[in-house]
Amino acid sequence: MADRAKFISAVTASLGRSEILAPPTETATAAFEDADTAKSIAERALATASERSSELANRMAEAAAVIGWKVHRSANREDVADVITSICEQKQATSVLRSTHEVLTQIGVDTAVTNTGASIATTEHSGDTSSDLVDESKAAAFKADIGITGVDYAIAESGTVVLHPRSGLSRLVSLAPPTHIAVLRPGEVLESLDELFAMERNDFLLGDLAGSMNLISGPSKTADIEGTTVTGIHGPLEVHLVILGND
Amino acid sequence: MKPLTVNFRSKSADTLQDAQIQQSIEHVYTGFFKGRLVAAGDTPDWEDLRTKGKAIKDHTIAHLDYYLGQLADNVEKNGGSVFFAEDAAEARKHIIDLAHKRNIKTVIKSKSMVSEEMGLAEAMNDEGFETVETDLGEYIIQLAGETPYHLIAPAVHKSRSDVAKLLDDDYKEGDRVPDATELTMMAREKLRGVFERADMSVTGVNFAVAESGSIALVTNEGNGRMSTTIPRVHVAVMGMEKIVPSIQDLSTMLRILIRSATGQRISTYVTMVNGRRTSDEEEGPEEFHLVILDNGRQKLLADEQMRESLNCIRCGACLNACPVYRKVGGHAYGWVYPGPIGAIVTPVLTGVKDASNLPAASSLCGACHDACPVKINIPRMLLELRYRNAEGSSDIEERTSSAAERGIWKAWRIGMMGRKRFDWAARLSRIALLPIARGGWLKKAPPPISGWTSTRDFPLTAAKSLKSRLSSRAKKAK
Repeated sequence: MADRAKFISAVTASLGRSEILAPPTETATAAFEDADTAKSIAERALATASERSSELANRMAEAAAVIGWKVHRSANREDVADVITSICEQKQATSVLRSTHEVLTQIGVDTAVTNTGASIATTEHSGDTSSDLVDESKAAAFKADIGITGVDYAIAESGTVVLHPRSGLSRLVSLAPPTHIAVLRPGEVLESLDELFAMERNDFLLGDLAGSMNLISGPSKTADIEGTTVTGIHGPLEVHLVILGND
Repeated sequence: MKPLTVNFRSKSADTLQDAQIQQSIEHVYTGFFKGRLVAAGDTPDWEDLRTKGKAIKDHTIAHLDYYLGQLADNVEKNGGSVFFAEDAAEARKHIIDLAHKRNIKTVIKSKSMVSEEMGLAEAMNDEGFETVETDLGEYIIQLAGETPYHLIAPAVHKSRSDVAKLLDDDYKEGDRVPDATELTMMAREKLRGVFERADMSVTGVNFAVAESGSIALVTNEGNGRMSTTIPRVHVAVMGMEKIVPSIQDLSTMLRILIRSATGQRISTYVTMVNGRRTSDEEEGPEEFHLVILDNGRQKLLADEQMRESLNCIRCGACLNACPVYRKVGGHAYGWVYPGPIGAIVTPVLTGVKDASNLPAASSLCGACHDACPVKINIPRMLLELRYRNAEGSSDIEERTSSAAERGIWKAWRIGMMGRKRFDWAARLSRIALLPIARGGWLKKAPPPISGWTSTRDFPLTAAKSLKSRLSSRAKKAK
């Protein structure tokens, strides 16, 4: 087995040095930015997201439409429920999976789905992660017709939905079903990737970094055959972004 | 993967004569190259981003020992394991042993150029593991038994009917050729089943974050997400240079990588994982293993002229910009990395002594340097390698220059060093070449410069030099 110490000391030698030097802190990387700076950038990002929420929601809607999200602007909670009902009907969904994002309860997603005759289940589990249960929930995700989530953040610059998988928000709910619906509330949209990663770094410095993060920008796509873009190679074929208005 | 760099000329000639492939690889220009230009134009601080990206990479590579240690510590702190592999064989053995120990049956592979260096999928299949490439392009290439044609578009040279033959057992020559959507859906159907039963994944790493022990994966298809979600064991393989120090650096690097690769503002999926799943999740791998590969990279690092090549983030922009790559295609380069970046890293990484054609296959137009998101000066390194090839070094089998050629250049150098010498040399060359010239042109030069006139004529030195004509005109004017 290759030895870590041997490997790294070979790197040191290749760099023409005899021992590992601490890197200079005046550099382009953000690695040496102190915790206070990181915190203030993160706080500013959140403040901007809430102060300019309607402008950022508009920009999000525009950018999302360009990359293939089907965007729905809904004035109030009832409208969001109607949009979800009509997607379920159109897709003739029989089984729907959802996350436990607060917004979904607020809009009454369960009723909106069951009204159409489809069944709906959350991805929250009892804490039992025995392999039988894991297999069962995996099978359920692959069988589901629609996955519904809120968003943890969104990014206006690129039309991106950000999700941090956890109990109640499985990794598969936004991936395995052929249709994904994401419901966005005002105030959840950040300007750009810079703000998102500044916030991630702040979480990290606070010892609070999420185990994983998925940035989702439109439907799964490929251009591997003759350069023709086709949606839905592995992930969802169709993705809906429902933006809830200020109400 | 065994390097076949020696076949550069014959492979290039084959590709140049293949009209279908010539048409297929046009997409790297019309799609990727133009897409990058548009994306760069739409990004107001584009040049600043490139400068910043270069500075981040320069800094990281200059302190790679420090950051490798930090990365390994943090991956372990997050509950993962780290394996340092000196070469491809060692990495391959480690991964295969792990798969045996964990009783693995099905391995899903996400796209990774480093795993191509290891010939991993083939080796794992030979060991009895069902190992399936899940990037559509890689899947097509795997079915065809070929190697990737392009860093980010492995099957760019395949036509729809090629793909139909590979995906559909019933397809026969002369049948209606399915469109790209039909073919993609066929592949979706086949690969869904594989995803559901996979118990191990092997992915690449676009960036590994030293401070947090995270890795970031960029995909459009979603196979990277499947790979970090379904199997119980996740193995990520990376070249030792793929590090950024901070989480926040990801925002700069992702922006320049994705725009330079496909012209998108962002790829459909960016996935960041800090190791195995967290305790409150029921999905996600139970184990995370990071394999960090040297495989010749130490040689690039130790070589100050070549070190900059480790800044590469594998976007493929230099391939798309290169007028040579766009004609001779990806297979001519004979190893994992084609195009301009391949021409400089392949000879060093593989240690083959027969790769002198690679750095020679460039017009030095500089388009690769202009396109590179981290401003790698590829033409400078191409020249350096050419110089080494001509002058001879331990890395090459034989000098690309003959003794006669070197003699001519030496004489040339002497002749160019002074005005008088130059005038004499010009006169001498006319006298020497006059007997074999026709109408002021040399159609067939004698050896050792006969190669020069095989495709063009060489002009005979003028009877009177410009300088003497000018001075006689000046005299007349008086």
